[in-house]
Amino acid sequence: MVSRRRLVGALAAVPFAGRAAGAVRDAARDDRILVVVELSGGNDGLNTVVPHGDDAYYRARPGLGIRRDALLPLDDHFGFNPGAVGLQRLWQRGELAIVHGCGYDDPSYSHFTSMNFWHTGAPNSGRRDGWLGRLADQLAPAAPPNFIVNIGAAQSLAVRSNRHVPVVFDDPQRFGRRALASQRDALETIPDGAAANASAQFLRDVARGGRAAAAEIRAAWRDYKTPVDYGLAPLDLPKVAACIASGFPARVYYVSFRNNAFDTHVQQAALHRRLLSYAADAIHAFVRDLDRQGLGERVTLLAFSEFGRRVGENANRGTDHGSANLMLVAGSAVRGGHYGRPPDLEDLDGTDNLRHTTDFRRVYATAAGPWLGATPGAILGTGFEPLDLFA
Amino acid sequence: MPTCRVLCMFGRTFGCGRRPRVGSLLWVSLVLGGAASVAAAEAGDRAAWLGDLTPIERGAWTASDAAHLLERAGFGATPADVQRLLRLGPKRAVRELSRPRRGASAFVHSGIFDAGLDPFPPSRPATTNAAKRDGRALGIDVKPTGNRPIQPIVNKFFYWLRASRLETDRVAYWWANRMLVSESPLVEKTALFWHGHFAVNEDKVRDYRKLLAQIELFQAAGLGNFRDLLLAVARSPAMLAFLDAGVNVKDAPNENFAREIMELFTLGVGHYGEQDVREAARAFTGWNYDGLRFAFDPELHDQGAKRFLGHEGRFDGEQIIDLILAERQAADFLAAKLYRFFVRDTVAPELARELGRRLYELDYDVGGFLALLLRSKDFYSPASRAVHIKSPVELVVSTYRKLGLGALPGVPDFNVVTGSLGQRLLHPPTVAGWSAGRAWITPSLLFERGNFVQDVLFPDIGFVPPDRYPNYGGANIVAVQDRLRAGESVASATRPAGVAAGGEMAASNAMADQDEAFNTRLGSMRGWQLAIERVLPIPRTTARLDLAGEIRAAGAVDCAAVVNYFERRFLSVALEAQVRRTLSDFLLAQLGTDDVAAALSYAEEPLRLLLHTMLSLPEYQLG
Repeated sequence: MVSRRRLVGALAAVPFAGRAAGAVRDAARDDRILVVVELSGGNDGLNTVVPHGDDAYYRARPGLGIRRDALLPLDDHFGFNPGAVGLQRLWQRGELAIVHGCGYDDPSYSHFTSMNFWHTGAPNSGRRDGWLGRLADQLAPAAPPNFIVNIGAAQSLAVRSNRHVPVVFDDPQRFGRRALASQRDALETIPDGAAANASAQFLRDVARGGRAAAAEIRAAWRDYKTPVDYGLAPLDLPKVAACIASGFPARVYYVSFRNNAFDTHVQQAALHRRLLSYAADAIHAFVRDLDRQGLGERVTLLAFSEFGRRVGENANRGTDHGSANLMLVAGSAVRGGHYGRPPDLEDLDGTDNLRHTTDFRRVYATAAGPWLGATPGAILGTGFEPLDLFA
Repeated sequence: MPTCRVLCMFGRTFGCGRRPRVGSLLWVSLVLGGAASVAAAEAGDRAAWLGDLTPIERGAWTASDAAHLLERAGFGATPADVQRLLRLGPKRAVRELSRPRRGASAFVHSGIFDAGLDPFPPSRPATTNAAKRDGRALGIDVKPTGNRPIQPIVNKFFYWLRASRLETDRVAYWWANRMLVSESPLVEKTALFWHGHFAVNEDKVRDYRKLLAQIELFQAAGLGNFRDLLLAVARSPAMLAFLDAGVNVKDAPNENFAREIMELFTLGVGHYGEQDVREAARAFTGWNYDGLRFAFDPELHDQGAKRFLGHEGRFDGEQIIDLILAERQAADFLAAKLYRFFVRDTVAPELARELGRRLYELDYDVGGFLALLLRSKDFYSPASRAVHIKSPVELVVSTYRKLGLGALPGVPDFNVVTGSLGQRLLHPPTVAGWSAGRAWITPSLLFERGNFVQDVLFPDIGFVPPDRYPNYGGANIVAVQDRLRAGESVASATRPAGVAAGGEMAASNAMADQDEAFNTRLGSMRGWQLAIERVLPIPRTTARLDLAGEIRAAGAVDCAAVVNYFERRFLSVALEAQVRRTLSDFLLAQLGTDDVAAALSYAEEPLRLLLHTMLSLPEYQLG
């Protein structure tokens, strides 16, 4: 096996065959779209992209480590979890960037708290707005309607904005007012004049925005047909594709694999494989689906989890809350490859956790700056240099 | 039956629940604060009241002030409530709203708990491991021989998960009913504040008894001294369980509890250091619970010297709390949070400092501080009126209260409605509680708020009670049951039939079923059966309304008068003439005549359509 340390030094972003390297993008930056996928529960990064070239991995995971011959081939140091077929396909087309060792200082091992940090993009700060909300505020300070879409039962903190009203819905068919036909006209009446106070004005703006968005989104979903198979748990990504394909003006989309699904403390192997297969299928299908419609160059997807898991398996054939983890960036515009230095599996911190090598805000900054054309420092604070991740 | 008692109590005080007693339109108009021109004149004079904490004089106290007070210190009001309060004047009114009362209905337990359930293991594997090790768990012995010897224990594990969750839903119903009928709604409103402040979630605590005790503490002591309350919360099993106090022991302190006490409960981020967190965590070592009691284990307590917020000593947890509260910042933090909850989202820096000073001088007497706020001219200034976006619980409870209901309807389900709007009681989303104000509103949630009104005024005849039908992985569990009933073997009946989207529970169940000592899918199914057998059902009554009767009693003569009546009764913001016209034209088209009295025999449905339309206006979200 290749020594991990030797290999790490050699890791570099290498464009792969399967897509034209350095393809010229016609789309202007203000056409570009960012889709963020939250894998809640703490996805086990080490069993997602497995460092089969590192003996320390197998020593730490005698029961849970995935044997090299069971992995989906990636390169001579890493392999994909056998469930992550979709990720392998993206990788082979050079459309997947794997950013290793993402985390932050003084990590929290609480789902709530760490997810809060990832949502705000500001660990240990007490901020109450989301990094995507601030991104939208900067990109479009006039807050045009329908700039942020968040598909889910509740609004994520990540999209909480100081100016924008995110379009939040779960089931597009149910997104709207239930009312008898005879009530419609009366219900749709929202006066144009100034409202009684700022709160009332805000509510009117939301109502107007909702009225506009709901009809469009219902229509987009109703009219959307795709031959692409998103798999068993599509993560709401077909809804995103439907919105984008319909020309809906949003530039930031947020979806999640819900209910802390990746919290795999117990008997993890088969469950994790299945969860990954769902997520990977959906992400891959999404990229293909947009590509098929000529929209691929406009859309980049970023997937994250609130933390990784411990290196060593626990007594229940599962893993406990950890720290550094990988992030995935996928899309036709992405230069596939490895980014960031994989953390040393044997150089653990005082709590037996991996030391992160890449602040996760550098990946956020990459999406905000090079991709969407924002100034990341004003959103995330300074010192988070974007990665050179786009062709 | 508690519902009956509630109804009777309400009936004596406010008039019958089904047919609210209301006076003539003229009378309502007087009570609710008169014409818009009066309000405007008032507003002009009162602009200077902004930031003024001196009490409003009795002579200046109007019906609209009383309605405002009931909106904020309680959960809205009927015209009769407003009139009663108006007569008291501001000082006595605030006192009445916060007066502790004997005889408030107590929670009626279903009787789902038994001693074998305590302590409840942290997970299903922990349960079955204990069973294998000890031959017994959850008060049940492992079968000596035979198939699936641990199955009854696994059944009981799932039983308690389901039953505690369902019983927690009943606790929420009980509490919301108290909000609805209480003559001291400030007690319940303040309890709701504390529930958001000291957030604990059933999903993690998994014991309705601990959650109930927490709410009862807020009801009993929420208007008392903050130090007492904080200490009681810090020692409450619900909070200790929620913040992992059990793993905070000497030599391995866990910082979760200490951090949240400072970050969320008292000081706010930036007013303490990481060193303070570590030292406070040491001081709280050995704090734990035993069943429903606080338990302190001196063996696990770190008695060494600590350095905390600039002080040094062998502090214990109680002393840490006193050191925190000695900081003016703690008073500033809490005062501003109370102000934002009861008065306005935004608080000017100088007013915030003054509020903190007052609370500090009051030695953290919460009731005294709220009385100061709720009587202040600032509270009655135009900037504080009708700017508060109602939380989902406020919206739902106040809608029922304004409709004059004497008990919470069972259809729609209170917990499902408030949950889908973002505020399910006893299930706050994070340790930081709920975000308030504009965060409640998204485009789809604004629609959902209107859809809730439709569900009240036109009850869904396809309603399925979520406490009777397993809605959590439901279809799969019912299918397992059906296959077993049809005579299939356990192995065959519990085989997963493809995993539904997002159905991680079913997936993990399938994973764990490799152990032949038990079958988790069978356990899940039996758990539901046992829970449904034992947890008392929530009465699925619908709101019985008589809007036509009310309009008759109010004496509204034409469609415009009906719109005017509903506007005054339900909304805190005056509608524009254009909106009023649209609404009365709508009613006119529905009734086929402007002579409302002549149309009353068939007016009920048109009136409900009108009210649904009006309560779907963005303005209805403001209180």
